[in-house]
Amino acid sequence: MSPHTCSVKSLHEELRENLTSGNPAHPWCRQKVSEIFDLVHDVSQGQAGEKHLDSILYLAEQLSEQGPDSACRELGQYVTVFVNQNHEEFLSHIRTHTCPTGHCPMLTPAPCQMACPAGIDVPSYVTLAGQGKYAEAISVIRSDNPFPWVCGLVCTHPCEFMCVRGRMDTPISIMDLKGFAAEKSMSSRQYLNPEPMPDNGRRVCVVGAGPGGLTAAYYLALEGYRVTIIEALPVPGGMMMVGIPRFRLPREVIDREISMIESLGVELRLNTRFGTDVTLESLKSEGFEAFLLAVGTHGTYKLMVPGEDDFQGVLPAVPFLRRVSLGDHRMPGRRVAVVGGGNVAMDAARTSIRLGCEEVHVLYRRTHDQMPAHHEEVVEAEEEGVQFSYLTLPREITGENGKVTGITCVRTRLSKPDENGKQRPVPVEGSEHVVAVDVVIPAIGQEVISRGLESFDQVNWTRRNTIRVNTVTMQTHQEAVFAVGDAVTGPATVVEAISGGKKAANAIHRYFEGIAQPALPSVPVRRRRLEHFEVPAALKTDLQRPQMSLLNNERRRVTFQQVRLGLDDNQAHNESKRCLRCDICIRCGKCVEICRDKMGIEALCLGYIDFDNPGPTDLRITAERCIACGACATNCPTGAMQMEDHGGYRVLSLCGTVLNRLQLEYCEICGAVLGPARYHDYIMQRVKDISPEMGNRRVCLECARKQSGGYHAEISPPRQ
Amino acid sequence: MAFRQGQKVEIYRRSDDESWEDYMDEFIGMHGIITDPDTSKNDPDALIEVSLDEKGTHRLPQDCLRAIEE
Repeated sequence: MSPHTCSVKSLHEELRENLTSGNPAHPWCRQKVSEIFDLVHDVSQGQAGEKHLDSILYLAEQLSEQGPDSACRELGQYVTVFVNQNHEEFLSHIRTHTCPTGHCPMLTPAPCQMACPAGIDVPSYVTLAGQGKYAEAISVIRSDNPFPWVCGLVCTHPCEFMCVRGRMDTPISIMDLKGFAAEKSMSSRQYLNPEPMPDNGRRVCVVGAGPGGLTAAYYLALEGYRVTIIEALPVPGGMMMVGIPRFRLPREVIDREISMIESLGVELRLNTRFGTDVTLESLKSEGFEAFLLAVGTHGTYKLMVPGEDDFQGVLPAVPFLRRVSLGDHRMPGRRVAVVGGGNVAMDAARTSIRLGCEEVHVLYRRTHDQMPAHHEEVVEAEEEGVQFSYLTLPREITGENGKVTGITCVRTRLSKPDENGKQRPVPVEGSEHVVAVDVVIPAIGQEVISRGLESFDQVNWTRRNTIRVNTVTMQTHQEAVFAVGDAVTGPATVVEAISGGKKAANAIHRYFEGIAQPALPSVPVRRRRLEHFEVPAALKTDLQRPQMSLLNNERRRVTFQQVRLGLDDNQAHNESKRCLRCDICIRCGKCVEICRDKMGIEALCLGYIDFDNPGPTDLRITAERCIACGACATNCPTGAMQMEDHGGYRVLSLCGTVLNRLQLEYCEICGAVLGPARYHDYIMQRVKDISPEMGNRRVCLECARKQSGGYHAEISPPRQ
Repeated sequence: MAFRQGQKVEIYRRSDDESWEDYMDEFIGMHGIITDPDTSKNDPDALIEVSLDEKGTHRLPQDCLRAIEE
């Protein structure tokens, strides 16, 4: 078995081959092997319970001890050894309904879930939100992420980049649905914590109350640990609180979700700087046995241009945003230049607008399409009046009387692509010009402030000045010391920090319990297997990604009110219906192949199933061509494609999307279901030379045989 | 910065960067989408976030990546 082959799938196939080829031959043995096969099948389908494994081993033991021949006994021994060797993988299938290799079709997570750094079961919560089960949706999300509301407003949503619907038209508004469900759930007081394990008496210290540290604290508290978080700032939340402005993420949202974590018994010590107010020794003497470093990246890179340190009015973005977040809303100056093209630069520029600055320029040395900031943020900044100067590189900050008066820049052009396809900004000689401003906000990058962490003397640092960890477990080189968040990745995203926090909590728990640490990154766990909505193909196609209402521009320019106003109920429910439910349909393409290649019908136009080269998708064309033969449904490995007869119709659906609906016909003689006329005609066309002639009558094959007694294709002359 | 958000890329080789870990060898040959091109500095050396088809989202060094479409 190759290292990347699923052991459950492998045993399933071996047993199937044995049974198909008549091994073992003894009836008693065949019965036992069939029973084992059925149990392994359940495991591969995510339908097994805790006792399945014991039952498999019991049956295998019976085979090896009571088998009437050597082949039978050997097979029993083989199964016993195989299952014991792959015990953990079998358990993973049973307990988490997850196949780590992705080879069990029923247990393969959807691309959106795989893309989420925190591994949230996206299709399940999208479906639950669409059903109005908001509390249940939040419960699903919080199995992997304790900040559904925060992430519903500011996540970078890599899930949407991988959303299969995006290959058809536009991706599902996954992030917005999360925010919608969280707000509904919190508003109705149904946003609840799960029941934690009993207190185990062990103490863990988290340094830094950002998303990574708080996430680890949440999952450790649920496991019964006593967690204390040391935070240098007067407020918890880290960059969520002092980096992301309030117009994107209201403080109430952060406070409410952090209070849920606190209510599990997590202690927050604010205004407490590690290395100054507390030390490693003092914390150890308090009884802390493990430490998690989640200090973030609160340092800023300098522009390294003349004048940067010489004049009042140079305000690095991180301390500037922190100051404003903590309540200082004084205007920094009349005219502001923000240097950089990332999200922090956009936040600094938009904050400056709200503080009353008359002119806000963003100076970026590359082109618009190369800006790392998110497109929505750039558009909203433009709407609010931020002026962008692309291909502009600062050369010097100038001033008078100790105050900034301008920033000298040069134009740049992009070089020809090098061998790696990279284009570099090259200064255009003679293009010097001065942008007259009284404030310059550098926003070109952040770094970890390592001051105070020297006492963790065995923790290694990378050349990027981040903490070196094993990224599977978040363990540092120092025993019982773990690290997460931006301090590890460099300035990254909230959801990546949350992912690290969850991994670290698991690793810390394993450390205390003496359980071996994982060697490979964990595979997201499917939390539910929910029924899909029934939606007509036309509606599925026509529904559009919702346009979220925004605060009017005048108010955006003067207040810190939340800009994105959220989805309404109707928008959210319809958006949920657009989901293609890729947790059920694994896009293997068997349905398309069989319809096109075997049946010659070509009724399925599902171009979205190809990741690299998606073709056109037309869900409506199926109704025009499909004969409702059911070949696609029969060959679907996951049950995504279904064909059912009810109410006098034969209905073909793909994950609830009704692709075809044809009226059934019945045998004129006995009343048996014949299938739709299109199907009947297709069959009759194919068998016209060998089947009894029944004219235009609709009769089943059995009645046809009775009616045409005496006729035999081999002895009757062919029809003209 | 050679990559932009939403761009399709291939992991075509093992990276020489210190941040490359052994388990990442399994990613070689896989395709994915850039979800966070770099931090804010446009640092050609920055680790960038890539969502791999069926293999999750990871922060990877840039020298192992190449664009597979314009």
